[in-house]
Amino acid sequence: MNLSSLDRRKFLRGAGVALALPWLETFAPPAQAAASSVKRKRLACFYLPDGVPMPLEKDPSYKDWSWFPHGGRKDFVLTKCMETLEPLRNELTIFSGLSHPAVRHVHGHRNADQFLTGADTGAMDDSYQNSISLDQVFADHVGEYTRHASLVMSTDGGAGSPRGAHTMSYNTQGRPIPAEHKPKRIFDMLFVKSGPDAARRLALSKSALDDLLEDARSLNRSLSEHDQKTLADYLQSVRDTEVKVKKAKRWLNIPMPRVNTDHLNLDITPEDPRNFLRTMFELIYLAFKTDTTRIATYQLGRENGVGISDYLARAVGFKGTHYLSHETKKPDGYKNFGIYCRFINEELGRFASRLKATPEPGGDGNMLDNTAVLFGSASSAFHLSRNYPLLLMGGRNMGFKHGQYLKYGQGNDKHQATAGISTDAGWRGEMNYTELPLSNLYLTMLHKLGVEARTFGGSTETFSEV
Amino acid sequence: MRFILLLAGLGIFEGLAWAEVPQANLKQFRKEVEPVLKSACVECHGQKKQKAKFRIDTLDPDLLKGKDVSWWLEVFDVIGNGEMPPEDAKVQLTDSEKARIINWLSGEIQLASEVRRSEQGHTSFRRMTRYEYKYAVQDLLGLPHDFSRDLPPETSSEDGFKNSSELLQMTSGQFALYHAQARRALKLATVRGERPAPVHYGITMKAASAKVDATYAAFVQKKNKQIKNGVIILDDVQQKEANKYGAKQSGTHFKNLVTGDALRTQWSYGGAKYAWKPVAKRPEIPPVSSNVVIIPANHKFIIDVGNGLPDSGIMRVRIRAARASSEGDHLPTVRLYFGNQPSNDSRISANVGSRDLTIDAPPGSPRFYHWDVSLTEIPRNAFRKTHKLGQLPNPAEFLDLRNTSSAPVALVIDYVEIAAPVLNEWPPQSHARIFHERKEADDKTYAREVITRFMSRAWRRSVSDSEVDQKLALYGKLRPQCEDFQEAMVEVLASVMSSPNFLYLVRFNHEGKDSQRISDFELASRLAFFLWSSGPDEEVLSLASKGNLRDPAQLQKQTRRLLSDPKAKRFARHFTRQWLGMDELDYVKIDAKTYGRVDPLLMEAMKQEPVALFDEILQQNRPVIEFLHSDYVLVNDRLARHYGIPGVIGDRLRKVQLSTESKRGGLLTQAGLLTMNSNGKDSNPLKRGIWLLENLLNDPPPPPPPAVPEIDLADPEILKLTLKQRMEDHRNDPACFSCHSKIDPWGIAFENFDALGQWRFKISDQPVDATSILFNKDELQGMKGLKNYLVSNRQDQFVRAIVHKMAAYALGRPLTFGDRAEVDRITTTLRQNGDGLADLVFLIVKSDLFQLN
Repeated sequence: MNLSSLDRRKFLRGAGVALALPWLETFAPPAQAAASSVKRKRLACFYLPDGVPMPLEKDPSYKDWSWFPHGGRKDFVLTKCMETLEPLRNELTIFSGLSHPAVRHVHGHRNADQFLTGADTGAMDDSYQNSISLDQVFADHVGEYTRHASLVMSTDGGAGSPRGAHTMSYNTQGRPIPAEHKPKRIFDMLFVKSGPDAARRLALSKSALDDLLEDARSLNRSLSEHDQKTLADYLQSVRDTEVKVKKAKRWLNIPMPRVNTDHLNLDITPEDPRNFLRTMFELIYLAFKTDTTRIATYQLGRENGVGISDYLARAVGFKGTHYLSHETKKPDGYKNFGIYCRFINEELGRFASRLKATPEPGGDGNMLDNTAVLFGSASSAFHLSRNYPLLLMGGRNMGFKHGQYLKYGQGNDKHQATAGISTDAGWRGEMNYTELPLSNLYLTMLHKLGVEARTFGGSTETFSEV
Repeated sequence: MRFILLLAGLGIFEGLAWAEVPQANLKQFRKEVEPVLKSACVECHGQKKQKAKFRIDTLDPDLLKGKDVSWWLEVFDVIGNGEMPPEDAKVQLTDSEKARIINWLSGEIQLASEVRRSEQGHTSFRRMTRYEYKYAVQDLLGLPHDFSRDLPPETSSEDGFKNSSELLQMTSGQFALYHAQARRALKLATVRGERPAPVHYGITMKAASAKVDATYAAFVQKKNKQIKNGVIILDDVQQKEANKYGAKQSGTHFKNLVTGDALRTQWSYGGAKYAWKPVAKRPEIPPVSSNVVIIPANHKFIIDVGNGLPDSGIMRVRIRAARASSEGDHLPTVRLYFGNQPSNDSRISANVGSRDLTIDAPPGSPRFYHWDVSLTEIPRNAFRKTHKLGQLPNPAEFLDLRNTSSAPVALVIDYVEIAAPVLNEWPPQSHARIFHERKEADDKTYAREVITRFMSRAWRRSVSDSEVDQKLALYGKLRPQCEDFQEAMVEVLASVMSSPNFLYLVRFNHEGKDSQRISDFELASRLAFFLWSSGPDEEVLSLASKGNLRDPAQLQKQTRRLLSDPKAKRFARHFTRQWLGMDELDYVKIDAKTYGRVDPLLMEAMKQEPVALFDEILQQNRPVIEFLHSDYVLVNDRLARHYGIPGVIGDRLRKVQLSTESKRGGLLTQAGLLTMNSNGKDSNPLKRGIWLLENLLNDPPPPPPPAVPEIDLADPEILKLTLKQRMEDHRNDPACFSCHSKIDPWGIAFENFDALGQWRFKISDQPVDATSILFNKDELQGMKGLKNYLVSNRQDQFVRAIVHKMAAYALGRPLTFGDRAEVDRITTTLRQNGDGLADLVFLIVKSDLFQLN
């Protein structure tokens, strides 16, 4: 029934956005019966800065070192860059032809900020506004079932700077959520102790809330019936907050899960990049396994190589990472870049395989079946913010279909319009092909994760084939 | 009946509030609609057959009280869209039959929706809006910060107002934000320990140019070496690199005014090459120097302050500056940006000075000018503590002085001084306002004093002993868990600021809740939120506490005082923006292909102009009819140029008398409003027409049917038509006619103004045709004709509309049928007394609308 003309306003009221609770977000209420009543669904998102090898078809390295596979939807062939993921072939989908419409014409160095948000973060020198990220929308939904609503990590740590983010996650107001980067700190936070101030903070809140309820009640007595209804909103808000504080308080008494740390070196830094990366992946695995959180984001590196994350490619014998994306036209340029990507894919594959090898605690299938793993970059070729390289793994129990290579958009066969670029003429250039909004995939993911969002980040539809 | 009147061509466009208590138009239904439905629909949707389980003949035609509204909306959709009757049906509807159904239904739907709205019941008990919260916290604590930024934006009511009681919600997330913001605000307002030592920068342009000079010397040395080694040849260096350091007079450059030596300014983020270090002692102010930097119009000068600025407090930036030349009347203006660039593609800078400075010192006699900037309110570099100067990401921050003059006039600076935090007193006033001088040694007694004072200011009324006792009990509970007295008090006061008594405009009545007249305290709050968008000050509160505020002479006096206070600018700004729906202007994207890059300063002036006109009419108590037409405008130089008005100099909007031939005057011809009602590429007569009806005449047209047929621009025949012709073509569709015939003619009259509100004679080589015929057959000849028509035929309606809008804003609720008499009375009195805008404010404040519940 169409009630648009009469109920437009009511609709607008209903569309008000719920806000995160800044001082409560790390103390989400305990799972209790949650585990049995709500099926665990998890989300892990990884960001690779600075794009991937995109040689032209005529380039000799095209066959082996293109990031994108060759072939069609089902019969696709993974290149050397990707073949470390072959054992997981039936657990993954590769996407091309997706990007965020608002930022298709920005320099690739400004891309990490909006990868999970789709926001128009504006030109240099403008004031800056981001929006809520995919993981935080999901966190608003399931965050309360775990000790931590979400785990936000990056190799460089902190929030970074506008258009130079060190975090993939943004809250309801579009503000960056600072990322953790020290394994020891992350481990302690997850498995050793709550913040020292937590108990006191909660006690203060409890007393203040009691007092405010008293204010509201005495005010209520002097109001007309109609105005009491208005104040009911307020009363309810205070009561809701009180319930959250009570639940958060209970976490303080629930013992931390016990985790074996024999295999972990928590003092590791990116100076030992392979083991650092493994440790970060392992921490996510442990957090998931103990149901300490169901959401993790990990930004592998900062765009533009300025920072400690530039060490990652040292794991495979290069002096840094970022320059690999610049020197593709030098001898073995694409190959070198490809070797780095292969290494990353190997570690990603190890993480996914570990999830796959672990039966879901108290549930169906294995952990990968209940975890959606998103991996990608918001650049493809050199500084080009289009045709994002994207991988989605796992989540079979949520209905994700895999073993596919899905190509969206038109006019960019074999990615040739977005390949072979090594100058800034590329990202500045016109776009003579079409792509679909990446947020369509995000909205599809949200639906499968159980979030009934109507739109996300400028989405226009959902993808039934995913 | 409003709709009938229109159909009959009487053309009295009246908002619902002015109609008699409305009734469903059953007569028209029986006469014109029912027979058509019977012949066309009943065969499939009647007693015998109910296709799609739908029966039309039993629907209740009373949309106002009946229960079948949603079915009627379906009928409206399917007939409007041409989906029914189906193509293969025996009986088809003729265009005129279709029009009859659509006409009747659209009128009834509109009416029903308004009736429903007004029946919801309204009161002025409401939460503060986001912007009111901002001002109320600023005024309460004496801080410049905006604590409302994280709050969700407000939805506008159908009248366009954001302070409408029924739309101001509260959620647990929002409540948590209020509590957190209150804590944050109080922590910023209060201080601990010793007065923090400020840091200082004293930067002479001589020293600044020496930095560049050193770079230049190193550069020359390097190149010489390369030339010597045969890596490059001299010609290349001269050709390629000469521009890098050579001073072009068109760009920002250092200059020795005595020798004439010049050097281009340099800055790059990397390596901290240009960063200045702060010193603990304020450097002595050097005598005026002939070594200066010259910033031409539209150019900037960057001062890198490294990572030496403190986290919080006020930063004072002083520049010793003068005009570069005494020629001409134009004075240069300069704007302060602040930002950082951690790496090559990550940069942010924001306009942080509250205003542009106009440099009026004559050449050779520079003066100091300054800005004060709160360091917690501006974008800071997240790396400033984690990284060292010279590292990447770069932890430095910079000031960016931009010459924003609209004419090619340069400014000259020889010395820049920066200090932070600047404190006039310690503890600062914001602290002393909360923690007054302590005479009692006893914590508890002092706590009681602090709480009582703060609470009555925050809650805008006197507080009872039991209310204070309750907060004191909270203090007692919190104190053992807190480190010290101050921390516990901040928690208690945060609770005062999170209480509904602060967040809501509360009824407070000594005489009990059934009293008709509002209390003096409530009157004080109403008055202050109306004119200041914030709580009342001590003077108003003290009158209220004595019960003197409601005395008419006193009320008049206080209203006048509030109106003449700078805080009344908030009223001009927020009422004007909401009344005219100006949020839209923030979202219009100007088509760069058509208009090129639009000067952001022109857009700024466009946004200011309606507010400035309102403020002028208000402060001078000019007749409100001047909104329809005035023989003056409020413009600055950029806007004047846009309007083709010569001789305006300076960036401040001021009153300029118009020549008799001018096309401007009043709101209708303001560039911002015309731009807002365009699509950024071309004019939009429909938007302009609807805006005129809704916002100025308070006669909103019914909403369009859900799937209006689009104008088919792929049709080559249609593409040939002018916009006006296309609209006429579209109007011929019976589903569209009833509404469009009431909207389009108004909008067509604006056609001489393009999407940026500039006057035009031609639209793509065809002369502009801005002539239109109103529904009642009156002809409008362009803008002049429209203004003439409004002024001679619609004055009453316009005045009533503005009374209605302002009353809705003042009360913070939509008006209902019940308010009609009082609004009529105000309108009549206002008209008899010369339509003064300030008089309107007085009339509203004195009215029963304002003073009764």
